Amino acid sequence: MNKRLKSVSTILFALVISTSLVLNGCGTSAPNTPQPAAAKKDTISIAIPSEPSTMDVQFADDGNMRAVADNVIESLLTLDGKTMKVIPALATEVSRIDNTRWDIKLRPNVTFQNGNPFTADDVVYSIKRIINPNFKSNIAGFFATFKDAQKIGDLEVHIITTGPDPSMPTRLTLLDILNQKEMLASPDKIKTAVSGTGPYKIVSWTKGQRIVLERNDNYWGTKPAIKTVNYRFIEEDATRAAALRNGEVDFATNMLPEYVSTLPQVQTAEGLEFSLVRMNAVSGVMKDQKIRQAASYAINWDAISKSLYQGYASIAPGQVLKSSYFGFNKNLKAYPFDLAKAKQLLAEAGYKGETITFVGEQGRWLKDGEQEQAIAQMLRDAGFKVNVKMLAFSQWLGVLFPQDPTSTPPDMIFTFHSNDIYDADRTYSTYVLTTGSASSYPKTLDAQIIAARTELDTTKRQQEYEAISQTLYDNPAWLNGINIKDIDGMGKDVVYQPREDMRLIVSEMSFK
Amino acid sequence: MATYLLKTLLKALVVVLGVSLLVFVLTRSIGNPVNTMLPLGASTAERARLTHQLGLDKPLLAQLGDYVAGVAQGNFGESWWQQESALTVALRPLPFTIELSGIALVLSLVFAIPLGILSALKPRSLLDKVASTSSMLGICVPNFWLGLMLILIFSNLLHWFPTSGTGGWQYWVLPSVTLAVLPLGRITQIVRTAMLEQLRELYIVTARSKGLPEFWVVTRHALKNAGVQIVTMSGWELGRMIAGYTIAIEAVFGLPGIGSLIVDAIGQQDFPLIQAITFVIAICIVFLNILIDLSYPLFNPRVKFK
Repeated sequence: MNKRLKSVSTILFALVISTSLVLNGCGTSAPNTPQPAAAKKDTISIAIPSEPSTMDVQFADDGNMRAVADNVIESLLTLDGKTMKVIPALATEVSRIDNTRWDIKLRPNVTFQNGNPFTADDVVYSIKRIINPNFKSNIAGFFATFKDAQKIGDLEVHIITTGPDPSMPTRLTLLDILNQKEMLASPDKIKTAVSGTGPYKIVSWTKGQRIVLERNDNYWGTKPAIKTVNYRFIEEDATRAAALRNGEVDFATNMLPEYVSTLPQVQTAEGLEFSLVRMNAVSGVMKDQKIRQAASYAINWDAISKSLYQGYASIAPGQVLKSSYFGFNKNLKAYPFDLAKAKQLLAEAGYKGETITFVGEQGRWLKDGEQEQAIAQMLRDAGFKVNVKMLAFSQWLGVLFPQDPTSTPPDMIFTFHSNDIYDADRTYSTYVLTTGSASSYPKTLDAQIIAARTELDTTKRQQEYEAISQTLYDNPAWLNGINIKDIDGMGKDVVYQPREDMRLIVSEMSFK
Repeated sequence: MATYLLKTLLKALVVVLGVSLLVFVLTRSIGNPVNTMLPLGASTAERARLTHQLGLDKPLLAQLGDYVAGVAQGNFGESWWQQESALTVALRPLPFTIELSGIALVLSLVFAIPLGILSALKPRSLLDKVASTSSMLGICVPNFWLGLMLILIFSNLLHWFPTSGTGGWQYWVLPSVTLAVLPLGRITQIVRTAMLEQLRELYIVTARSKGLPEFWVVTRHALKNAGVQIVTMSGWELGRMIAGYTIAIEAVFGLPGIGSLIVDAIGQQDFPLIQAITFVIAICIVFLNILIDLSYPLFNPRVKFK
């Protein structure tokens, strides 16, 4: 080799070596090595999958926004994280005056983080804003029964509904109260630096990088243990887990079951969503009740939960309602997995191998595609002839919620159903009531559902839903699926129990 | 030169318009964004109302007309998802992505040029074989997988670098190395091929017979003439990084660039934002290509712009 060339290769070699030395050298000054715990930590770093789109809680339906905003902005009522019972927040008392009028007494001596006092004006403003059809709220549907709000006194408001609405208190847990004076003075603040009444206030939002919250020392309620909250946005699940393992963050949401064994600590809670396979009970092969029962016996949900979700999923209790929801029927149990019974029912129904179309989608929920394939295979094992049709999310949604109500629903369609007002009405008026947006069930239960929806006597209402759930169990509208547990990863020193309503409440967190 | 610039700008305009039109049609064919924006249980009436508010119930041609009229005034509309001017949202993360891609390009050139030259000088030598194999490997390894592996090894095992996010120089190491691997492989191969071609040319024989030191023959003559190909390839790789590779890298390393933004925008089916981002990226690529063209005379004075 030529001398010059030798020197080139020497330079190259030296470059490689020196680079690796530089890389080595920084091992001593690693930026994120956990430091020995001297004083008690009062700053928590939380990794969420994506940056919130806005802080306008009345506008968007965005889980990442909620993970931040639920600590800053409050509603009139709220849910107890463990029991899911409605408890007071900014309202101290909610009572019904007549069928369509509710009286709300507000908490005195509450101030917004910018110093404005909290009054009836803020409540009336917030309600009028979200029900205004010109405001493009994506969550206005939760408040579809709200007609108007009137100020009665400085700390008293009346809410008028379009008809009797027994789920009114639950709706109030979703109604975020905005700061009227701030909204009128600087309308753009709601997008980033909104000031609410909550236990934390937004200090800064560096787009693309982080959001920092700090404890609101004037908070009316219990003072939180943690002083500063640092949100980071890490899209890739594996990286979020790696950041937690490294101690770069103390808390990482939405962990996969596979990661659990590698994380310092995990806590789980049952989510709000159940998978279900809606069946066409109106037309086609599945119209026969026995065939729908056969399908119910054919699925081994326990195997699905264990093999796909490492057991981090629980089987729906014979209905897609949780025991904490209003209308839960405690006498129902999931259909047992019984292949012989399924085959027998199919024979009794005279099923001759007609093709069943099973519509699915992939990628919106954890391992949804795998779950669909497993269900389809189990149906085949029982003797069904199944044709799985995988659609893109948007097309799939068009099949589940058809724009044209006269279109023929598919024999089966897979979905996850989230009951966001924790009330049986949400499920049944969507999936069973013939005017519901995703219904493929005969008219038989319509009268009962409408009666229950407007029944204001809670005992009677409870009984009505129990009866409806029983009918839907015997004459199924869908296969009741599983509830995938929500897994939060956290550092060893973090104390937190994830909530049943999936809200991330920092004031309930502390360090050991 | 003036005619060249005019022609190029005209071509660029056609390209950008073409891309915008294509993206417009593609976004409209991936389904109704209203379904993504509203909660799953929203009623048919709610869906219809939002569809109307977004103007998606208008005929496609009318929507296209609105869009073109807006773009002509530099207005891409408001991002549905972020409720802010789509162009502002699209431009915000651009500097980050350009910086990251730039660092990765420099990193790959620093290794690719010497490796390519040495391989070309001794074809089929051990070094050549090692370089060829590893550059093929670099081209074939999926970069998101590589990123995760690097995080596992250098963050979780060795604790040398942070896993993700932004901050001091340590935060740049893993993402830029991951991003550099693919261009490194491609550029090494191009340098090798281009150098092999040049080294066979007569002027090299002349230079050598005149007794020029081999180092000068290789660097001043062969490498300079191979420069056109190397610069073209590097520019192309830089473009692909900005418009493609960074998508996976930024998602894996949780970085605030245009790649992770487009993932979000597509996930949210935010049409105005998708259109603004692709417009911005198309402009970047066109501009980059013009820069590459303009650099040719540096390597070959015979290049004339007409």
